[in-house]
Amino acid sequence: MISDETIATILRSIYVSGTATLLATTWGIPTSYILTLKRRVGIVEAVIESLVGVPTVLLGLLLYLLLSSSGPLAPLGIRLLYTPQAIILGEAILITPLMISTTYRVLKNTVATYSELALSLGASKTQVMTLIIKESLPGVVASIIMSFSRALGELGIAMMVGGNISGYTRVMTTAIALGVARGDFEEAIVLGLVLLTIMVVISITLKLLNKVYSIG
Amino acid sequence: MKLLHRLVLLVSVMTLLVVIPYYLLFPLNPYVVRLRISTTTSLYATGLLDVIAKAFSSEYPNIRLEFIAVGSGAALRIAEVGDVCVVLVHEPYLEHQYLIKGVISEGRIFAYNYFVVVGPSNDPASISKANDVLEVFRKVYIAGELGRAYFVSRGDNSGTHLRELMIWGLLGVNPGNTPWYRSCGCGMSDALLIANELNAYVLSDLSTYLKLKSNGRLPNLELLYINTNDNLTINIYSAYIASKCSGDERRYGELLIDFISRDVGGIIRNYGVDEFKQPLFYPVLEDESKFLRIWEWFTFR
Repeated sequence: MISDETIATILRSIYVSGTATLLATTWGIPTSYILTLKRRVGIVEAVIESLVGVPTVLLGLLLYLLLSSSGPLAPLGIRLLYTPQAIILGEAILITPLMISTTYRVLKNTVATYSELALSLGASKTQVMTLIIKESLPGVVASIIMSFSRALGELGIAMMVGGNISGYTRVMTTAIALGVARGDFEEAIVLGLVLLTIMVVISITLKLLNKVYSIG
Repeated sequence: MKLLHRLVLLVSVMTLLVVIPYYLLFPLNPYVVRLRISTTTSLYATGLLDVIAKAFSSEYPNIRLEFIAVGSGAALRIAEVGDVCVVLVHEPYLEHQYLIKGVISEGRIFAYNYFVVVGPSNDPASISKANDVLEVFRKVYIAGELGRAYFVSRGDNSGTHLRELMIWGLLGVNPGNTPWYRSCGCGMSDALLIANELNAYVLSDLSTYLKLKSNGRLPNLELLYINTNDNLTINIYSAYIASKCSGDERRYGELLIDFISRDVGGIIRNYGVDEFKQPLFYPVLEDESKFLRIWEWFTFR
């Protein structure tokens, strides 16, 4: 029922979306931490929240224009179009607003609860940061997983800048689209079920981890 | 300092997690040349290009064919900006425009098949007795105006869509704003699936229809009009090199076009014969000059 190619597609999908999530984490989490320390960030917050629902195919088109051989990056020798790296970059950008806005909420609550208390007890700035990261970890992890889910289920960017190239940039969502175009609904459904299973498994694991963490 | 150590450890573990699977999932070979090809969906969705790619790769092992399947309009557009090297399309009028612009060159006609009209099995417009495709469309138009039939249009500037518009144009009618004319803005498979649900008529390429029909996705549709003597329904596939393509990629692109045009091993001629009892595409081979005349006729419409 599941061919080697399908398995490769699933692994590739997880890898691409996972790397995109890691990449987004490196700038998303620090950004939200900085945001929590600043006052009057209402407008920034509103803009970021509105970007959470940006159509993936629009972002795909913009990235296509950016990465294309006649785009602004071409003279620099950057040739990323139709590579897995292009999808990674695109998905990382896509999930950044989601990650920032969800992490920001968690961090803000923790900061409000602990920050001044810790400072008044004589903690240094680094110690405060460590404390806040520790206390809000379950929420931050939840936000990262949510972003991973969004990246995994995204079609527009993978199609536009990945090109759905067999054995190279074909991921689960683009393979489903091709399955529909070829009339191979069975393969599309298998992939769809796998996609859903991965998301549910991750979500359950997260809940369990959260439970263990809060008890520990 | 403990924090710093932990951070360094975390970063190095993450890096390993990213780098090692990368080499497992995307095996790199510096001697492999990427040949990027934009292609019309019908050639790809039918699976023909997979077979061609396999045969070509066994002859030239250090090349990787990367197909980007889009409509003919988009295929030419991404060739224009230089994102692909070879273009496989079936829309003479657009091809002609891009040839004039100097975007593509070294064109070869390599295959053809026929556009067909597919519709509900009870055939409310009784098109199956029509003599040519103009009569078919006239009957569909009349039945549509009488509220007896629907027509699904691709509406996506693909080769099939433009051919449909050309036929309406030859009849001197514009069904664009009528309630029975549904423009889906979608690919051939989607248009066929919609037509199946609406019990509508649709202009399709033979290959996509046969592929979906044999998969049992189109229970309500039948092949109602196919006429190999009707030049208006000839669907001509051509291959071009994008002018912006150079170096090794261009050299292999030329080899690929030559490979397809010669129909090495009868791949095109035999594709789908086992499954559908008839070929999906016909190679052009020595008839190229004959098809070039038909191709030119389409460019001047």
